[in-house]
Amino acid sequence: MKSAVTTVVTAADAAGRFPSTSDIEAVKGSFDRASARMKAAEKLASGIDQVTADAVDAVYGKGSYDQANKDKCARDIHHYLRLINYCLVTGGTGPLDEWGISGMREVIRAQMLPTAAYIEAFAHIRDRVCVPRDMDQQAATEFKSLLDYLINALS
Amino acid sequence: MLDAFSRAVVSADAKGSPIGASELVALRKYVSDANKRIDATLAITQNVSCIAADAVAGMVCENTGMTQPGGNCYPTRRMAACLRDGEIILRYVSYALLAGDPSILDDRCINGLKETYVALGVPIANAVRAIEIMKVATVAIMTETNSGRKMFEGINSGSGAQCQEIAAEAASYFDRVISAIS
Repeated sequence: MKSAVTTVVTAADAAGRFPSTSDIEAVKGSFDRASARMKAAEKLASGIDQVTADAVDAVYGKGSYDQANKDKCARDIHHYLRLINYCLVTGGTGPLDEWGISGMREVIRAQMLPTAAYIEAFAHIRDRVCVPRDMDQQAATEFKSLLDYLINALS
Repeated sequence: MLDAFSRAVVSADAKGSPIGASELVALRKYVSDANKRIDATLAITQNVSCIAADAVAGMVCENTGMTQPGGNCYPTRRMAACLRDGEIILRYVSYALLAGDPSILDDRCINGLKETYVALGVPIANAVRAIEIMKVATVAIMTETNSGRKMFEGINSGSGAQCQEIAAEAASYFDRVISAIS
């Protein structure tokens, strides 16, 4: 699982050397950002159902749609938000890459899913994050950059 | 390979739930202890040769036959291999300590180590003794209970007395190696 620390350790091990000063600086840098990341993760975890419902409503609007489809959409958005929560914890894109993005294109094509709807949902979530109502500035930056990363991968 | 953060992620994923406040308590502690962890890692990396050389020398002093013809540390080529292994174990312990998780030590150092030593005819009891000495030396340096130069003067975390907990974690990684080859 790729994270700030494992990336550094893997590189050190490949070279057969002890963690160097610059390795330790890199790890320290990720620790410095960690408290903002964890704050964002905590907020997201506590509001994940609300955020999901909100995004689904935004995508479907007022029209009447098949509830089963709507539920599946909610399930998928919830799933991606959970992976973003994991990314916020690890400080890297490992969980999204390994469990969310790899193979995603193939699945989406096979199921003929509209990626535009997902993109709209995540863009809605990104644009609705309010500082300081939802989380502080630094936490919001971390959260939004991961949403952008996912939107990019879906595009 | 995992660290403290990805370990939390893997166990949360198994439950299919996001990581919330209760799981974050332990991770916040890991982050707040970051300076101690970094100092403890430096305590190893700055004293590698000393720790490994002392451990191997101590092992040989307790079994003087080892450097005589027929002994396992004769000729110097085999003694050098022994020193090298000491440094390798220290290296993986330092990785595990930095990551706050023993998975890299398990995957890349311990896995197959016993079989390798048995196949090469390395006396396990002596190897265990050398690792024990490395453990004691590492803990002494981290907690500043060693004689000679003290580790923490002027660097991040203040004093060795505050590093008891992290030194205990380091000791547990050495114990992991010992129990794996015993």
